[in-house]
Amino acid sequence: MEDLAQAAIEAALKIGASFADVRIENTTTIIIEINDGITKQSIASRMKGAGIRAFIDGAWAFAQTTDLTSKGMRSTGQSVAKLALATHERVEENFQMDGPTFEGKFKMSPKKSFDSVSIEDKMNLVMMIDDQARDFDKRIVSTRSIYGELWSELIIANSLGTNVSIQNSVPRIISVPTAKEGSNRQRMQKSVGLRGGFEEMETDDAQNIGTTAAKLAIDLLSSEVAKGGIYDVVMDPILNGVLTHEAFGHAAEADNWPAHSTVLEDKIGECVGPDFLSISDDPLLPGKRGSYEYDWEGTKSRKRELVRDGILNELLHSLETSSRLDMEPNGSARSQSFMHPPLPRMSNTFMEPKDWQFDELIEDTKSGILLCSFNYGYTQPAKGQFMFQASHGYLIENGEKGQMVRDVSLAGNILEVLPKIDAIGKDFELDAGTCGKGGQSIPTMTGGPHARIRGVPVGGM
Amino acid sequence: MSEQLIEIAERAVKMAEKLGANQAEAYVGQSSSFVIDVENSSIKSAEEQRDAGIGIRIISDKKIGFAYVTTLYKDDIKEAVSRSFDLAKASIPDPEFVSLPSVSSSYPDVKGLFDSKIKELSSDEAADFVIRVIDASKETLEGRDYAIEGGIQTASSMSAVVNSLGVAKSAKKTSITLYSLPIVKEGEDQTTSYEYQISRKLSDVDPEWVGENAALLTLKNLGPKTIDGGEMPVVFAPLGAGAILGRGFAGAVSAEEVQRGRSYISDAFGDKIASDIINITDDALLHAGIGSRSFDGEGHPAQRTSIIEYGVLKNLLHNSYTANKDDVRNTGNASRPSYSGLPSISTSNFVLAPGKGTLDDLVSEIDRGVLCNRTGDRPNMTTGDLSAMLLEGFYIENGEIQHPLKNTLVGINMRDLLQRIHRVGEDTRITFSMVTPSFVIDNATVTSG
Repeated sequence: MEDLAQAAIEAALKIGASFADVRIENTTTIIIEINDGITKQSIASRMKGAGIRAFIDGAWAFAQTTDLTSKGMRSTGQSVAKLALATHERVEENFQMDGPTFEGKFKMSPKKSFDSVSIEDKMNLVMMIDDQARDFDKRIVSTRSIYGELWSELIIANSLGTNVSIQNSVPRIISVPTAKEGSNRQRMQKSVGLRGGFEEMETDDAQNIGTTAAKLAIDLLSSEVAKGGIYDVVMDPILNGVLTHEAFGHAAEADNWPAHSTVLEDKIGECVGPDFLSISDDPLLPGKRGSYEYDWEGTKSRKRELVRDGILNELLHSLETSSRLDMEPNGSARSQSFMHPPLPRMSNTFMEPKDWQFDELIEDTKSGILLCSFNYGYTQPAKGQFMFQASHGYLIENGEKGQMVRDVSLAGNILEVLPKIDAIGKDFELDAGTCGKGGQSIPTMTGGPHARIRGVPVGGM
Repeated sequence: MSEQLIEIAERAVKMAEKLGANQAEAYVGQSSSFVIDVENSSIKSAEEQRDAGIGIRIISDKKIGFAYVTTLYKDDIKEAVSRSFDLAKASIPDPEFVSLPSVSSSYPDVKGLFDSKIKELSSDEAADFVIRVIDASKETLEGRDYAIEGGIQTASSMSAVVNSLGVAKSAKKTSITLYSLPIVKEGEDQTTSYEYQISRKLSDVDPEWVGENAALLTLKNLGPKTIDGGEMPVVFAPLGAGAILGRGFAGAVSAEEVQRGRSYISDAFGDKIASDIINITDDALLHAGIGSRSFDGEGHPAQRTSIIEYGVLKNLLHNSYTANKDDVRNTGNASRPSYSGLPSISTSNFVLAPGKGTLDDLVSEIDRGVLCNRTGDRPNMTTGDLSAMLLEGFYIENGEIQHPLKNTLVGINMRDLLQRIHRVGEDTRITFSMVTPSFVIDNATVTSG
């Protein structure tokens, strides 16, 4: 396989490329979805192929092939280099690619590899979770339970001399029950997603995810619609992670700098939040869904301290952005698969914990809203606008947690919202997620402690 | 070439039958696309994508398995067929599964979906299109501090679906997409907007319009403010209207969501769920439509289906499974992400029938309200609750647009939204599979701060 990568790289250099890299992938996935006790879908996939990039003086070209023979690799290497040459005539900004080289192999050795567990056992897990949610309460009228696993082997090489092979293994279990009482219908989604083998599905959290989700769905039946307005908001760890990811992380992806597409452009080394605020992105956390040892360009990964003590300290880099901005590469380039070129992305992103106890935080807030868990979120870093939606929350009245509310949205501006954070808890939790950018989805985690933001607009009906 | 795809699919179906499948279906997809990206107002990269693969669905004793592979090599297909069969064997039988679609006597002829000029467009010609887009944006932004993102994507694809009941259909399509996304700075203020065109025919795109309009839209977003919130009317411009109906309503009329009690309109079949002036059709037969097709993802004939007539819910969107389950006519709305997934249900072209008046006319009728040009939000599909950020919104007073908005949300339940549409404009715009004019709802909760 390493020889195939070299064949493509050499062919591209011969045509005139000044830099070339290759990712050869062999990935298998299984998804099993059970709805109301019946297999709704069971899907197996194999993704096998190579993605090749060539670069000449500021111009990139990318192509992929599933012809994994030396002839096929050479021919794709040549055509991608020719495309880079043609593109080169049109580019205006010249730069060179540079960076450290890495050689290494990372092997995953999970206790229970996916292929050592039978399909029947995986089906039984999903069935158990589906039954669990349905059996929790008569008012659970529809259940949806999904198991997903991804096993991936990747070889990465570039013309600077990097030669890395990595493995990844991520399982996930999701429960989505619907509860109904009269005409009131509520749905909840909960999941456990980690990095490792099937043993990660045998923890208490994973084995009880159906009950956890069903309980929340039943609770939601007695929730009320929140009244829109300006609130002091306490975020739970999951929602805090979404804020950190949407309202900050995306804007710190370094490809925004050459493109002038982030409101953080002039803020490097400057204050973006209170001095007790630190935001990190750490791909080296053991066993987490967003973790990896080498990124999709073969760069060794490390923890990124995006915000340290309120100061914008570091960006998320690919080799291109670290070359262009003359900064240290930190292994943040990721691709969905061999079919996509790598982009600067997040891994496990979180707010660092501080010193508030949760109870004190609620008591101190007096009047406000506690927002929990999340439905979805999005952002536009060029404008700084973001929004995300909590799946549920609780009004805080007289310093106590009160009435449950649902589907609460929060909108804001990146530069305005971080300075409004005035209290950060000492607890910590990460939640599994999937992040989308440029049409590519990748596994991530987000989280942090409970934290409070003062005076932000919260949408209601 | 399409015969070749059908042959590959037929061979896979035979393999599955040999293993013991009661029914089998193979979907082969092959596409080539070309992409050029613009960064900081200049071309930066080109991408050539050639994708070909096959997905195999196997039914054995009402148990269903599916596997796909990203190549069309014999050994890989063989492995996928056997993995699909293994999954089927391990599955829990679905008593409500009746059958894959059988072959139909006639399939509609839908024209304008393939343009050889797109297929044959050279990389140089594609680059020229992008440069025209960017130049038009630049001209409009002359003298300002800006950076433009943009690009072109051309795609040419072929697909074949074959099943063991005799369905064997293939189709080819082309598309071209152009876009410009300028970012403009003015003092401390930085904003953005975008414009795009997607078409199945090369001669339909207008690079200068895309470039100029993107720049004009961006300039309009400078200097956003918050307002005092409250109850007020909301005007949805065509892109906002398309987003709300596409994400917020199309999924609610999927028969699958309704059958499982997960849709907010579950108990409303045959009821008046929208105001009298609402007529919505799912029309797969539109000439050159982005969602148009002769047959759906399972090889069933596509059609035109009335969804709402004068506010009354008339039909749901079905694939073979949901139609068999309810014992109703299959509307041919099975859709799949090429070869890499099982058919689900989605719209073809979702058309809100136009009324009268331009967007300016609709705005001029508002004393105090907001205009939603774009939003990225979707409602909770089970409750219908929608809390939408105005990704591009404007404040209206005395019939005129006053200023852009920031940090502003509109809250309303989708059931109320549908009932409260009291004006529909005539300014229909096609946004992918949504074909929508502007509309106005008389009241929603606006929060801003």
